[in-house]
Amino acid sequence: MRDDRGLGAPAEQGASGPGRVLVAVYGTFALAAGARAAVQLATRFDEAPVAYLLSAFAAAVYVVATVGLARGARGRRLALIAITVELVGVLAVGTLSLADPAAFPDETVWSAYGRGYYFVPLVLPVLGLLLLRRGPAAQKSPPKSPPKSPPP
Amino acid sequence: MTPALVVTITVAAAAVAVLGVLSTLARRRIGLVHLVAVGVLEALLLLQTVIAVVALAGGERPEDVPTFLSYLIGVALVPVAGTLWARAERTRWAGTVLAVAGAVVGVMVWRLLQLWEVTGA
Repeated sequence: MRDDRGLGAPAEQGASGPGRVLVAVYGTFALAAGARAAVQLATRFDEAPVAYLLSAFAAAVYVVATVGLARGARGRRLALIAITVELVGVLAVGTLSLADPAAFPDETVWSAYGRGYYFVPLVLPVLGLLLLRRGPAAQKSPPKSPPKSPPP
Repeated sequence: MTPALVVTITVAAAAVAVLGVLSTLARRRIGLVHLVAVGVLEALLLLQTVIAVVALAGGERPEDVPTFLSYLIGVALVPVAGTLWARAERTRWAGTVLAVAGAVVGVMVWRLLQLWEVTGA
């Protein structure tokens, strides 16, 4: 019992776990990109309108993806669309920003494939699509193995 | 807003992240150990906020004040949000959610230091 309090109670089984983690990461990016775009648009819109509007668009895509993922099976289509847009966006903007740096005078979340964010913006949509692919199959066939719990 | 404090915060954030990953590996939810680690991390972040506010009140100004302030406030909220989420999560991924929060704090404090060192004055 003392272990349960100190180290945490044994976990419950559930397929939703990794999805919840992805929602957390997506939520973080929605907040980060949104806050960044808000600051950029509010304080220096004239300097690089294209880059800042792109930041705002990226933020909106992250928000929609977060909502879609958080809704689980009901939000699957929404998440699929948003994450596909996200993947296309990060690849297109990443390539353009490297090919024509002058067009992107200030960093966006997706510049250089998300280098400013340790390439998380590039990895995130791939993980998201993998999870969504796995989704419906996991829901149709519930796990048959008995719930595993560590010995008391 | 000193490198020493940022390093200390990074160590605390890394500890939270490691504890979180360990509890996922052990198939457990989060427990008291995690809460204590997050508490230490949050205390350090609040200390940093106080130091920054005192410096700002004393007339020091980073070049990009709005961004600096949003990072300053945002980073202090991340462990709180992560803890609330992880407490509500009943699967073993609760720890990973907490680990993500720790990693985010570890990155954000360095960005915050960077923003601070570009002083307008």
